[in-house]
Amino acid sequence: MTQVSIGSLSDFPEGTPTRVEADGTALCIVRIGDTVHAICDDCPHAEASLSEGDFLADDMAIECPLHGSAFNLATGDPDCPPATEAVEVFTVTVDGDSVLVDV
Amino acid sequence: MTIALIAGSGMAGRAAALTLRRVGWTGEIVLVGDDPEYPYDRPPLSKSVVIGTADMNKVIKPAPEVYEQEAIDLRRGVTVTGADATAKTAELSDGSTVAWDALVLATGCAPRQLPIPGLDLPGVYRVTRLDEALEIQAVLATGPKHLGIIGGGFIGMEVAAAAVAAGHTATVLEAAPEPMSRPLGLEVAERVLLWATDRGVVVRAGVGVEQVSGDDIATGVRLVGGEEIDADLVIVAVGQSPRLELAQQLGCEEVVGGIKVDAGMRTSVADVYAVGDIAAFPSTWADEDRIRVEHAAVAIGHGQVAAEQIATGEGRYDDLPSFWSDQGDLTLNVVGVARPDDEIVWRGDQALPACTAFYLREGTMRAAFSVSDMKTLRGVRKLFAAGVSPTREQLADPAVDLAALAAEG
Repeated sequence: MTQVSIGSLSDFPEGTPTRVEADGTALCIVRIGDTVHAICDDCPHAEASLSEGDFLADDMAIECPLHGSAFNLATGDPDCPPATEAVEVFTVTVDGDSVLVDV
Repeated sequence: MTIALIAGSGMAGRAAALTLRRVGWTGEIVLVGDDPEYPYDRPPLSKSVVIGTADMNKVIKPAPEVYEQEAIDLRRGVTVTGADATAKTAELSDGSTVAWDALVLATGCAPRQLPIPGLDLPGVYRVTRLDEALEIQAVLATGPKHLGIIGGGFIGMEVAAAAVAAGHTATVLEAAPEPMSRPLGLEVAERVLLWATDRGVVVRAGVGVEQVSGDDIATGVRLVGGEEIDADLVIVAVGQSPRLELAQQLGCEEVVGGIKVDAGMRTSVADVYAVGDIAAFPSTWADEDRIRVEHAAVAIGHGQVAAEQIATGEGRYDDLPSFWSDQGDLTLNVVGVARPDDEIVWRGDQALPACTAFYLREGTMRAAFSVSDMKTLRGVRKLFAAGVSPTREQLADPAVDLAALAAEG
């Protein structure tokens, strides 16, 4: 496990999924206020980039742009088929303005 | 020790094995599949695998070492050749006998056979197994090809669209006058067909196929009437039929062309479960007493429920049925149970990039078809969950927020 800096808070527009590469791992980053969430960007179901999907504020989830399963940002669990596996969730630390992810 | 024998290592069988461990079941698991490969996802075969863009680590999953880690006795290239419901034993093609306590039948489907000559020529392929899809991939990798595809169902259309998007050309030959009209209904199927032809897929519907032509290698397909369709390779995707022999040998009750199960995937025979393509299961989303669905998400859900039943005696399958079909750059999603004669209500215009249609029966929404309109699709799921069916006018109006209607109840 390494902690990698992925930028500053202002790099991540509020509620807009953003794809970043951290130490070779593709992540989907979502900032809500001063809290930043990171999940694996690859949909576990089929080949899709979750950061191209929508952030669903009511469900605190990212919706896969291809087939519609929404992955909870805290648990990684999908809310409906076709995905049946959870997506990996990464620990994020906000240190002042900088955003660090354990990958 | 208690033994669960799973006959079939497709998506349903694999899900059953992995779920047994996930819920903490400690018995012995024997997972038997005729495929020589480690278990894999089948949907990518006709899409990213044939054109070589698939990440194979995401197709063959879980990683092979997981079976050993989870103490799942995976036997590849092996079939269950016979089983006895009274003695609770099964004979395997590797010569062994397994004394099972629970038996999960996940035997899936066999490709339908076409009664035409030439199918055994080199250059004729199917897309039902990974090794077959990889053979097609190897051919397509050598340069632009023209594919002659027999069968205009989802699989045939997916291969055609993927190949055309990757720079090949494809002619789809379909016996029915309206390809995909059985799963999608005529009106929606026509629209999907139009999008495919717009993208360069040639579709010949209502044509009979007389033979695959060629002396030493397939060179094309001859239609009834004599017309010759040239092709560098011929792909046969004419559907499949459930493999019921093992279930029949056990004496499992059949209905609607499958093995009758309850919501816990239990067959009429004690301790025998049927999952995936072969299972005729009850669904609150369908009018019929039992339905049979040949789609991945359903197969996985069945496998999971059978495992929960074996481990805990609990678990019901009653998911809202859904399936998807990726056709080149288009992703079709269908949720609910659509019937060919349902009334169609389009939401807004019928044009891409985002497009949705609803299927109504006696004025009630029963399914939705959508391309790239996730917000509407999500609203539809919420409507189904809430048991709310909007009016035709509400469904047709893109300005109406379906999720909000569901929340109002």
